[in-house]
Order: sequence, then structure tokens, then C-alpha cells
Amino acid sequence: MPSSISNFKRRLRLPRLFFRKPPEIESIHGGPPLEYVRPIPELPWHGITVAVVLIVIAASFAWELYCRSIGYGPTLNDNTDLWTSARRQVRPDSIVIIGDSRAWFDLDLDELQKGLGRRPVQLAMGGSCAYPVLVDLANDKNFHGTVICSVVPHLFMAPPGTPPMDHSEKAVRRSHNQTLAQRASQYLAMPLEGHVAFLKQEELTLDDLLKRLPIPNRSYALVSPRFPPYFGTLDRERRARMIEDCARPGELQSTIQQIWLPLFSPAPPPTYIPKAEFAKQMGQAIEQRFHDVAAAVQKLRSRGCKIVFVRLPNSGELKALEDRETPRAAFWDRIIKDTAVPGIYYEDFPDLASFKCPEWSHLSAGDSVEFSKRLIPHLRAALEM
Amino acid sequence: MLFNSLTFVVFFIVVLAAYWDMRNWDDRKNLLVIASYIFYGAWNPPFAALLFSTTAMDFWLGRQMSRAEGRRSRRAWLVASLCMNLSMLGFFKYGNFLLENFQWLLARFGIVYQPPHLDILLPVGISFYTFHSLSYTLDIYRDVLKPTKSLRDFVLAVSFFPQLVAGPIVRAGDFLPQLVRPQPLRTGQFFWGLLLMTLGLFEKIVLADMMLAGSADRIFGYAGPLVAVDSWLGVMAFAGQIFFDFAGYSTCAIGAALCLGFHLKDNFRFPYAAVGFSDFWRRWHISLSTFLRDYLYIPLGGNQVRPVRAGTNLVIVMFLGGLWHGAAWTFVVWGLLHGSYLVVERVLRGLFEHKAWAGTLATRLLGGFATFAAVCIAWVFFRAPDFTTAGRMLGGMFGGHPNGDAILTTREMLQIGFVTAGMILVHWFLRDTNIETAVMRAPPWLVTTGWTFMACAIILTQGNSNAFIYFQF
Repeated sequence: MPSSISNFKRRLRLPRLFFRKPPEIESIHGGPPLEYVRPIPELPWHGITVAVVLIVIAASFAWELYCRSIGYGPTLNDNTDLWTSARRQVRPDSIVIIGDSRAWFDLDLDELQKGLGRRPVQLAMGGSCAYPVLVDLANDKNFHGTVICSVVPHLFMAPPGTPPMDHSEKAVRRSHNQTLAQRASQYLAMPLEGHVAFLKQEELTLDDLLKRLPIPNRSYALVSPRFPPYFGTLDRERRARMIEDCARPGELQSTIQQIWLPLFSPAPPPTYIPKAEFAKQMGQAIEQRFHDVAAAVQKLRSRGCKIVFVRLPNSGELKALEDRETPRAAFWDRIIKDTAVPGIYYEDFPDLASFKCPEWSHLSAGDSVEFSKRLIPHLRAALEM
Repeated sequence: MLFNSLTFVVFFIVVLAAYWDMRNWDDRKNLLVIASYIFYGAWNPPFAALLFSTTAMDFWLGRQMSRAEGRRSRRAWLVASLCMNLSMLGFFKYGNFLLENFQWLLARFGIVYQPPHLDILLPVGISFYTFHSLSYTLDIYRDVLKPTKSLRDFVLAVSFFPQLVAGPIVRAGDFLPQLVRPQPLRTGQFFWGLLLMTLGLFEKIVLADMMLAGSADRIFGYAGPLVAVDSWLGVMAFAGQIFFDFAGYSTCAIGAALCLGFHLKDNFRFPYAAVGFSDFWRRWHISLSTFLRDYLYIPLGGNQVRPVRAGTNLVIVMFLGGLWHGAAWTFVVWGLLHGSYLVVERVLRGLFEHKAWAGTLATRLLGGFATFAAVCIAWVFFRAPDFTTAGRMLGGMFGGHPNGDAILTTREMLQIGFVTAGMILVHWFLRDTNIETAVMRAPPWLVTTGWTFMACAIILTQGNSNAFIYFQF
């Protein structure tokens, strides 16, 4: 008579793992473990390796020389790890600069240190929205310092899911999740990037070279906007300086000027959302941003933080475009009103309004020093220092 | 620590230099244990303690099992090992998933339950090292492995850094014997290992990340309807991306192990040249498919049961295989799709295998392309973040959006086309051989050119130290 267990097993057809010894076929090696040996191709490996190493070194050297010959120089890559290393420098009472690339190029840390008595930490990011960083500082309960926030409305009001927001959110996320290995890689990368011109993650990569191939596209293809070529250097404190080639009139300068215009123009609405619905969603997103910025500012001020919004210079057709698409009354004035925070709009002050941006969006390295000097009294007044 | 990072380059050079300099085998093994824990701890040091604790538990359970007398007692120790490993995996990987589904189930009965969201950080590679460790107790239970007396050796078998976080799933039974005697260090093997590492990095950095990932992300991230061409190209881009990403990691792991004198088995064998799904799973993620075969499918009855039961077993195994990849129903559907593919294939084989036309080249080619297309359809569920996206993608692929958007640039389409065609051609040409044989047949100048090309392309691409896709599993 079968036992109750085997009856149970037969009825339910339970896995046999627990009920019998595995047959030979189940043995993973058909018996006791065997040593597995991978075949190694028999080739003249020493000669091959030496040849590969020599050719790769020669090719890298030639590529470096070529890149330098067409105007590139060594500079650090502005990636999330570099931003994280700056974020780590923020102390409870630090002065922190947040915002976009104008804060990078236009504000000189040496001058600000002289004028404000403390060296600011540069947390602005090129082509990014300052809002996620503002929120990150607001959520940092240890922070009760000063925030200088550059506002370019086109970037500052960028809704969630757009590249300016993604860029900032990615950096903030990295600062919270950075592993020891990523930190070590950043320390190892900086000396290399500081000496090798072709190490530019957003420009001299194979991907970027392929993007430059003149291949016509289908009419509705979503083509990524072109970003400006190399026109500035970045140091370990994330202070950017415009290179001389860009500061003087010439091909590089005019190329960059023409690149800003599509980048600052509103993106066409997606085809799968009716235009009216899209406009409504955008309007709601902008309203939400005004509300969220005011809440973040309130949170910062409740801890005793000081904050000032700054509108840094722009020029030429880009200024006309920005004034048209993001008018001062609708954006800048509204931010100042909703947050009740002091604001410095460069056009309001003759000593600041006289600066011209060579490529329409940023000041030259020399002008940035003078501009920072002149900005200090306004900052001190706004921050009641 | 990622293979495609500067930290790993420095780490590996230091480990290699010290390892090759040492003469004592025990010193070498100690060095590898320390290096492996540094490699893992560089992500999150506390998780190294978790890794050690599960390893030590399995070591102890394996020893208890070997000492136990009687089947029942051995089974009890095995159950303890299974419970320990799977509960650890369940908590870290499936905790929130189970809670969310429990909440959904209660809601069907009108019960409102708001579970707390557990802020659980998933330890990198937990699915891999759990299986490394579990294979030890399973094999001891099955009498195919004698327990090792050295905790250090077992710790090294589980945590050996090249395969620790993203496979291959190296069974203790495959690795422990290599720790018994000193592994000879040969320069030919070392340089071949370096070439394999270069190949793996080329696959990851240049082919997966640079050539394909951007297009796949754009297509799967697009919120509107897409035309068939773009939908198919997006899925093909992902099919290539995940192959190059995962096979690249495995190739790097095999190469790094070779540089240290160890031999890991292949994890991929030109899978996109598979004719049929059983053939595909003999070529794709071989270490997982054989793990599931040996420890789940065969114990469930394997082929030795009635056809209906065998088919059900296949679906169960693939369901669990899908769930192993991630705590989401999309992965489950991916697994179930593959399970049903295998069942359909089994039925078709039974009906047509002996027909004269079944073995012709044309049939095999047709079978190969049908397999690739079906695998691509399954990839939609693997890549899509939710069923809405998957539905939209499938709608586009099967002509549901004739007036949808066409968003890919010509360059992206060419990149996907060239890389996919090249990948399939290489897989077909090498499907019945292996890379070692192919390299052996090539003249040295061609090997030199290929190696140089890959190294230069890696340097030119630079990369952004993107994590490997399988790290999340």
C-alpha cells in the first residue's frame, strides 16, 4: 500500500527535488566536479600586444595633437561627479551659487570672495534648471547659508521631464547616491582631463563625430538641438572662463550665437497632444513651478537662509528672443513677487547694464571679473550684509 | 566598481601586479578575497557584510548537510539554505513588489490598505551572488559536490570579483576545484584575457552605449504613437544593446579571470543565430538557463513526464526566470512569453521535425529570423517600464499607428541597421564554433588590427561609466 506521502506526491505532482535522489543525468558534470579549461588561441601574443600598445599610444597622441591644432584645450568635464564634489564642499553657512551657465561664466569666485568675505561654492550647471538644486538645499536641514540664484526663465521654468530639469535632477541624485568607486573615478579623471584636450565627453567623442555627418533626415525626425562647440574652460571649483577665440569676433563667436537661438526657442508641441491641451499643461506646469519655488524659498528662509535672484547679462538677438518669449513681467517679476526675495536684474543698474556678451549669452573671462566686482555692492545690499 | 571606470583600471592593475608577484598560492587567494570585497564594498560597504554573512551561512549549512545522516535531515539543511537565501533575495528585491500586489489584492475585496513604502536599497548583484552561493548547498545535497573545508576558498568562490555582480553565475562546483591547486600563470593566457576584456569593453562602451542605447531610450521613452519602422528599430536597438551590454560584461569577466589564471565558462554563444527557442536558451545567459534547468526544470520532472506536464514545467521555469530579472509584472510576462514560445516550439517539433523540408537551409534561415523576431517581441516587455508603453510599442510594431510619429534620425536608423546586421551576420558565421577558434584561424595582423581598432574606439568614445543593465537584477 503506498504511503500517504507518496500518494500526496502523486496526486499533487509536487517537485521531486525533496523526494528522491537525482539520477545521473541531473549531475551537473555527470559526476564529480571537473576542472574546466578555456582554450587559449596560440598566437604570437607578445608581438601582437606590443604592436597594439604602440599603435594605440601613437594614435592617441596624433588625435590629441589634431584636437589642439583646431583650437581645443584641456578642461574638466562638467559631469555629475564634478558637481557632486562641489556639493560636498557646501558647509552650513556657505555662500552657494546655483543656476545656469551664466552664473558659471559671469561670476568670478575670487572677486566674490573679496567682496562677500567668503568663497562661494559654484553649483550652477550649464543648460540646467536651478529648481531641483534649490529644493535640495531647502531639504538640507544643516544648510542655513546664502544662495545666489541665477535665473534664465527659459531654463528656470523648464517643466519636469525636459533636459534642463533632468540634468539638474541627475546631478542632485548623484550627490546623494555617489559610491566610493565613482568618487575615486572622479579624482582619477580630473588630472587626466586637466592635461588631455580630447577628453571631452560632450564634444570630441565618437558619438559626437558621427552626429556631425551631413546625413539628411526624414521631415518629422526629432533631431536633437546642436550644442555650442568648445568655448570655455572649467576648473576644479567649476569656475568657467570663456576662451579668447570666442571672446573676439570671428567664426566661433558667430557660430555659437546662431546655436543659442534654436536652443532658447520654445520646442514645438508634441504631435500626439492637441495644441490647446499642450498649452494648458504647460501653463499648469509653470504655475506649479512658481508655487514650488515660493515653497522652497520659504523653507530656506525659515531656517535663516538668505537668498537673492540674479538676472545676468545677455545681448544681441538672444536678448531680443528671451525678452519676447519669456517677458520680464510674466516671469522675473512674478518670481520676485511670489517669493518676496530681493532680485538683481542687470538692466536695472547702469553699472551692470553696460556689459556685452560676445556670443550673446556669457561674459568674456576679463569682463566677468569686472562684472563681479560691480555686482558685489548690489549683492551686499540685497542680502543686507 | 564598474569595469568601464577609471577606478577599476587602477584597481585591476594593482591587483594584477600584486597577484603575479606573489609566489604562495594561499597569499594569492587571500589577496583575491580582499580585492573582491574592496570591489564590492566600493558600491556600499555595509552590503559587503551582507555578502559575507550569506556566504558564511551557506558554508556552515553545507558542512552540516554533509555531516547529516539520512535524507530527511539533509533535506532540512537544504530547506534552511533555500529559506535563508531566498528570503534575503525576497526582502531586498521583492519586498515592495509583494506589498504593492498585496495592497492591490485587498483592494479587489474592498479593503483599503496603505502599506508603508519600504525604503530598501537593492544590493548590487544580489541575484547573482545568491545563486553562486545557493549552488553550493544544492550540489552538496545532490551528492555532486563535496563541501570544502576552507571558508576562505568558499568566500572567494562566491565573491570572486570578475563574476560577482553581473555573472556569469559561476557555480561553486565549477570554481572550487580551481582553488585546490595553484593556477598556472601563462603570458599567452594573460594577453588573451586582456584582449577579451578589450572586446567586452568595446561591446559595452561602443556598441551598446554609444551606438544603440540612445535610440532605444528615445523610442521607449516617447509618449506618443510611433510608426512601425521606428518601433521595430527601437526594439532591435534594445535587442542589440542588451546583448552587447550583458555579453560585454561576461566577456570582461572571463578575460579578467583569465588574467588571474582562472577559467570561467561561456555565458553567451552567438544567441541571435538561434533556430528555435530551446536553441536560444542554450546560447543566451547560459549560466542562468543551465542553473534553472538543473535545479528547477529537471527536479520538476524535466522531459521525463507527460507532454502537458513538461510544457507546464517549462512555463513555470520561465515564469520564475522572468521574476528573477526584476520585481515587475513586465518581467513576468517576458518570462511567460518565452515559456510559451518553448511550448509551441516543442509542439511544432513533434509535428514537423521529421519532415524532409525541416532541415533545409531555407527553413533554418526562416526559423532563425522567426526566432529573432519573437525574441524581439518579448524584449518589448523586458524594456518597457509599464504595460502602457509595451502596448503602445506593440501597437506600433504591428501597424496599429500608420499615422504615428517617425522620430529617429537617419543616422540613428543607419547605426541600428548596421550594428544589428553585423551582429546577426557574425552570430550566423560563428554559430557552430567559438571565439577562440575564430581568432586562432585569423592571421596575427588581423588580430592586431582588430584589437587596435577596438582599443582606439573605446578611447575615442570615452564613455560615461554607465552601469551595466544587469547590475539592477
